[in-house]
Amino acid sequence: MGAFEYRQAEEIRDAFTRHGVRYLFIGKSGAILLGFPDTTQDADLFVERSPGNGAALVCAIRELGFDLTDVQAAEIVRGKDFVQLKNGPFDLDLVFAPDGIERFSDAWARRVDVEGFPVCHPDDIIASKAATNRVKDRESLPRLRAFRDYWASRRRG
Amino acid sequence: MAWHEEFEAAARRPLPLRVRYAFIKTYRPVLDDEPFRAFDRMADYRAWCESALPDWLGYGRV
Repeated sequence: MGAFEYRQAEEIRDAFTRHGVRYLFIGKSGAILLGFPDTTQDADLFVERSPGNGAALVCAIRELGFDLTDVQAAEIVRGKDFVQLKNGPFDLDLVFAPDGIERFSDAWARRVDVEGFPVCHPDDIIASKAATNRVKDRESLPRLRAFRDYWASRRRG
Repeated sequence: MAWHEEFEAAARRPLPLRVRYAFIKTYRPVLDDEPFRAFDRMADYRAWCESALPDWLGYGRV
């Protein structure tokens, strides 16, 4: 398996749209879509937790080529807080309850559309990384905050 | 290069190119060894990262 490619991001967007999945790109992959110049390995998606959305999600990721058993599919539909998929064409992390963000609806209201990709607002990406308090996030947060300020100033024009 | 200049340079690149430069693939021991993992709570995932993953991957909490 190689690195995640732009066409695969498009495939996620298109499959999720077809199945009506409510989701947002989050984490460093979300920041990268917003223009943050850095590196990462996985695509991270913040998915709304509801039975209907979970069922639509399973259909979409199976369509993308992820090989899910029925037991695994049931775990996704149930909306476990965190699911790590490495059984498909690319690595995908599904986050149903990211640290630092209270409700999906709040993040959805603040979302940013990047050429058709729904992405968490940089403030939410930062809040979630700050709340995890991991070594790797602690190291990248100052640069990510500087990017948020740059991004906001560009948006204001 | 200062961060601001890096941000400016990235903003000039089209999105597909930004994605191409950003996503890399390297093997991460333990983390990449299972095709599927699910955790009931984020706290369970964080605890697993700290107990199962090598420290140098950086998934441990500060």
